[in-house]
Amino acid sequence: MTGLAATRLIAIREITERIGSRVLRITTVVMAVLVVAGVVIPSVVHGSAAPTRIGLVGAPAQELAPALRTTATLAKLTVRVTDVASAGLAREEVRRGSLDVAVSLTRQGATAVVAQSLSPTAQALLAAIIDAVHQRGVLSQAGVAPATIRSAQARVPLRTEAIAPPPSHTAARYTAAVVAGILLYVILAMYGNAVATGVAQEKTTRTAEVLIAAVRPRQLLAGKVIGIGLCGLAQLAVVVVAGLIANGLVHSAQIPSTMWLLLPSILLWFALGYALYAFAFAAAGALVARQEELQFVTAPLTMPLLAGYLLVYAAIASPHSIWIAIASFLPPLAPALMPARIALGGVPWWEIPLDALIMLVSIYMMVRVATRIYIGALVRGGARLSWRAALRLDAPQRSSP
Amino acid sequence: MLELLGLRHCFGELVALDDVSLTVEDGEIVGLVGRNGAGKTTAMRAVMGILHPDGGSLCWDGNPIGDAERIRFGYMPEERGLYPQMRLASQLTYFARLHGLDAQTAERAANDWLVHLGLGGRTEEKLVALSHGNQQRMQLAVALVHDPELLVLDEPFAGLDPEAVDALSETMHEQAVEGKAILFSSHQLELVERICHRIVILDAGCVLAAGTLPQLRERFPAQLRVKVDGRAGWASKLRGASVLRQDEEGVLLMVDPGTDPQTILAAAQRVGAVEHFGYESGGLIDLYRQLLTR
Repeated sequence: MTGLAATRLIAIREITERIGSRVLRITTVVMAVLVVAGVVIPSVVHGSAAPTRIGLVGAPAQELAPALRTTATLAKLTVRVTDVASAGLAREEVRRGSLDVAVSLTRQGATAVVAQSLSPTAQALLAAIIDAVHQRGVLSQAGVAPATIRSAQARVPLRTEAIAPPPSHTAARYTAAVVAGILLYVILAMYGNAVATGVAQEKTTRTAEVLIAAVRPRQLLAGKVIGIGLCGLAQLAVVVVAGLIANGLVHSAQIPSTMWLLLPSILLWFALGYALYAFAFAAAGALVARQEELQFVTAPLTMPLLAGYLLVYAAIASPHSIWIAIASFLPPLAPALMPARIALGGVPWWEIPLDALIMLVSIYMMVRVATRIYIGALVRGGARLSWRAALRLDAPQRSSP
Repeated sequence: MLELLGLRHCFGELVALDDVSLTVEDGEIVGLVGRNGAGKTTAMRAVMGILHPDGGSLCWDGNPIGDAERIRFGYMPEERGLYPQMRLASQLTYFARLHGLDAQTAERAANDWLVHLGLGGRTEEKLVALSHGNQQRMQLAVALVHDPELLVLDEPFAGLDPEAVDALSETMHEQAVEGKAILFSSHQLELVERICHRIVILDAGCVLAAGTLPQLRERFPAQLRVKVDGRAGWASKLRGASVLRQDEEGVLLMVDPGTDPQTILAAAQRVGAVEHFGYESGGLIDLYRQLLTR
């Protein structure tokens, strides 16, 4: 049997062992809910501003309706305009809360009845329209041609030019960064530990000896890492697709443009981060003599993973910090930190392939070191090995023709 | 045929194997005996490629043992190891496939062996649900499922009840009759004596003795039992023989090579009527004790 066939068999066993397990189903649902919530909640919060309900009392006031609607749209204010038959009825509706403001016009002036106060925007909007109607009346009575009046009252375009524009959708970006950080931290820790547990189980139950009698340790390691990794990738893909669907369903104007880049980059950094951490976790699993010792040997691996996640909050606090940018290039921190930075926006495009390249180089080195430790420690009896002792192990070479 | 030639291996300062040579012919059962730490497991692990010996060579049918040879070996390690949560049929099929069988053949072989070893009704159970004895059977099935040419069984009888011991001996015999070479280790010497064609005694990493039981016996001074109706202690002054034991069955003498037993008979007759005079054929246990105390 070729090495590839053995690796495939081993990977398939890992996958079948996990598929259909309750843990996989539950964690998938929980993560999908988390991501969908992260996508949907900001847009719901942002889009929930209720319209200002304006009641127009009497015919003169009711003539304001078209102008009111047009101007409100221009001012990005949502209004709902209704006609009210009498002032008494309008007051009653305002008191009941079914109207925010009731407007009536007389020769002496205009009255706006409100419950307590009116928002400054709505107030300014009403005042501007009433003024415009008044001016039109005065000019019309003075014999000014309607075309001239329209021209005089036409809006002068005002272009606002911000020198330091605030980022759009800040809340959505923060949420996306945190969700990306949590997701990658959780899933890398989960699947890293799955590799360590699997290796430790094979070592402590001596299944490794039976396996090594048939296949090379390298094939065993590769099959295990690939099999478990594919499960992780599939689970993450389900979660990401749930996120994309949620993204498509909610009002897209509220979704930051970085979201479309973020979701695939979560998958990419999972693949890179998993490759880096899985081999280290496999080496850790091979060090123990008993399953209970796993926590000790995996602690040095879980720490940097956690640090990368915690730095996401630092990145949110100061997104333009050079230290955060540098930290996101350190391979142990990158898997959680880089996608979070992408979510926050403002990452130059070239940083992404550069970071991926650095990851690939470190993965190569990690595979070499971790494989050596794994092979040396897997079928070794006796007490738990320290990392230091494991690094000094000479990997036994299998005799082969 | 399996050949170990001048095998050496050290664990740090400890010499685990020191110039160990032995062979196992096709159809032959060879028993490896010795104290704990004598090197039995190390030798077997070297054959299975679990450790790479520091020196010496390992051959199968004249070729150095590599992956292509090893995939045709079956192995049962001293400390049993299988996936506790995997179902018997799928687990056995998996190991058969790792040994190069295609999916269909592997599945058929797995089912056949489970039935043969009395686990036919439990193919869909998880290993962890089985009793200790049945887990041992499953471990044996893993060693046998791919129809190996060589079986390496490390302490296969440890912890088995008498019935299971008989079943395992029977299976080993069947395999030997089919032409398989079998190397196994055990501390149960009476079993080794009963099952093996040849015996290799290891001590401190060296081969102390090897051969069939009669061959091993020849290497030791003959043991002579003499019962005389007369005073005790007559034998203590004998030349060319020393007293091993004295009890109601008479005296057990170790006769030095070159000593004429007739002189001993004559000496006995001078003491009184000789009721018994004859050689005792020492079992493996006696031989083993003599070897290790020598």
